[in-house]
Amino acid sequence: MASVDVTHPARRPFTGRRVHLGDVLLQTVAALASAGATALVLLIAWKVFDGARPSISRFGLSFVWHAVWNPVVGREAYGAGSFLFGTAITSFFALLFATPLAIGIALFLTELAPRAVRGPVTALVETLAAVPSVVIGLWGILVLGPALRSYIEKWLHAAFGFIPLFGSPSAAGASLFTAIVVLAIMILPIVSSISRELFLGVPRELKEGALALGTTRWEMIRGVVFPYARGGIAAALILGLGRAMGEAIAVTQVVGGGVFVHWNLFSQGDTLASKIASEYQGATSNLDQASLVYLGAILLVLSLVANVTAQWIVRRVARRHGVARGGHA
Amino acid sequence: MPKLGTSIRIASAVAAAALLAVAVAGTAAAKPAHRATTINGAGSSLVAPALAIWGPKYASQTDVTVNYSSVGSGAGIAAITAKSVDFGASDAPLNPDQAAACGDCVQIPWALSATVPTYNIPGVHSGQLKLTGPVLADIFLGKITKWNDPSIKAINKGTSLPGLAITTAHRSDGSGDTYAFTDYLSKVSKTWASQVGSATAVNWPGGVGGKGNSGVAAVIASTPGSIGYISVAYVKQNKLNWARMKNAAGNYTLATGPAIEAAAQTVTKVPTDNKMSIVNPPKSAKFKNAWPLSTFTYVIVHTSTPQAPALRKFIFWALTPKSQHLISNSFLVFAPIPKLVLVAAEKTLNKVHS
Repeated sequence: MASVDVTHPARRPFTGRRVHLGDVLLQTVAALASAGATALVLLIAWKVFDGARPSISRFGLSFVWHAVWNPVVGREAYGAGSFLFGTAITSFFALLFATPLAIGIALFLTELAPRAVRGPVTALVETLAAVPSVVIGLWGILVLGPALRSYIEKWLHAAFGFIPLFGSPSAAGASLFTAIVVLAIMILPIVSSISRELFLGVPRELKEGALALGTTRWEMIRGVVFPYARGGIAAALILGLGRAMGEAIAVTQVVGGGVFVHWNLFSQGDTLASKIASEYQGATSNLDQASLVYLGAILLVLSLVANVTAQWIVRRVARRHGVARGGHA
Repeated sequence: MPKLGTSIRIASAVAAAALLAVAVAGTAAAKPAHRATTINGAGSSLVAPALAIWGPKYASQTDVTVNYSSVGSGAGIAAITAKSVDFGASDAPLNPDQAAACGDCVQIPWALSATVPTYNIPGVHSGQLKLTGPVLADIFLGKITKWNDPSIKAINKGTSLPGLAITTAHRSDGSGDTYAFTDYLSKVSKTWASQVGSATAVNWPGGVGGKGNSGVAAVIASTPGSIGYISVAYVKQNKLNWARMKNAAGNYTLATGPAIEAAAQTVTKVPTDNKMSIVNPPKSAKFKNAWPLSTFTYVIVHTSTPQAPALRKFIFWALTPKSQHLISNSFLVFAPIPKLVLVAAEKTLNKVHS
């Protein structure tokens, strides 16, 4: 029986009706599930581009970079420029803030923390990922926004006001900066838990070998752990980026809104996802609705690019190491 | 990997629980539908407090349940267009695009309410701040940037206004309040009319967006020096600071029931599509105390609908003086609809058939 080829039940010798039925059932259900998921992705993509068609045919590709949004019927003009800019700037800075923190947490939990601390802290960090985004957004409006405005933004503006990024703070707590901090908090647990798994996957022999050669802990991490996990971390970061780009609710609650392209992080703006979330239900006209769907299509393409890039990196690294890792991607 | 096994077990438990919940909810939802009639509606958050009173009252009298979701005027129009509800509710009349998309829809005015400028200025109490239309427009255009600006000081003698920067707050979602507010600003400011215009969502010259009345209220509460506009019922329920507005007759009024009712007297003839704007009533003794930011709010139904008998009955009931009194009598500050408009509304309602 040991030589049975499980992946090809058709070629399997007759061993009893019940087992055979179960196999067929399993294969059918599994195949249907994957076919369903694939069909769903294609259907969504088709529906999104179909829904955006009125706007695509009216504005063409220049929609992507035009920074204008006027839903008043009779003077309608739409473009994704300012939202694309807002999405780029918020997700870039969110990733910039979250990366060192996330990797630090992962290192602490795998290499540095006392064993008794690891379990509870891991659980708590992963709980952060389970906090609904609307709750983080509420906390962003009520607590984080006002606090950032009154202390951090004020101080940064006073100290580094000559840098355009640190312009004068908006009086309301709503700003790109608040959105960045909220997004950083949201992607932190994703990146840190994937990194932690990657660091755990580094073979013990390699680490102990390095330590036996007389390296310090930091040299061991830099020389063994990081190179081993590099590709996986890159993929984790891109997944985090995808999350940051697509987050709508929490950003809508704290970003303030408006059709602006400016480098002042302390002033408000809008992202692709937040614009869709805030306006879709109340679209003033068919063109408005189609243009919002067009924003969705742009977001879909961006997420797709991020996902494919992540998979490509993982595969490339896996090939180089000759092992399949980064299964989380 | 034992962890994988655990997570599969957890996942299947969650899935089973979800299935169970769906099944339970399904049977629960299915049962009353067989017993009694249910009317489903969605839309305006401004009119939601009225439906919260009408719904239970009507159910107790007739055994017909009225479900209403307060999702915003724009979303209500989308829902009735897609026929996913029996009626939609909007504070803004359908624009030509929406009317075309909705097909055989008619809009019927069924409640009268208002939107109100609310503010957060340290040291200035509710009802103390006075504003005129042009000043309000200049504030939202970003031309007036400080509370101690000469043009604001000139109309607020005796009130000490701080040299605080002004932050404007507006609705980020499509809203009937935005329609009434921008409709008013377009009528009192040429610059506003030419630069921004009026709609349920506009291209704001600046300021901070908030989702829903509560979102705008949150921005105002957390931002000293801010001003925004909010449905009058919400303002009253949450005891927010409301501003006095100068009407065309030259009086600084508050958005009380009688002031809103007075504004509705502007209507002398109801057009066939029932589209009426009652913002900025003209200068006349009749409108001496009129609130200049008043608005009708509409119920939108398809003329041909299988639910016609139940819908017609319910809307007729809502239009009776008794039902109008029910919502204007309370602290909600709706005002009874003028008789002229009621007659037109009932005429339109008679077109609805199954």
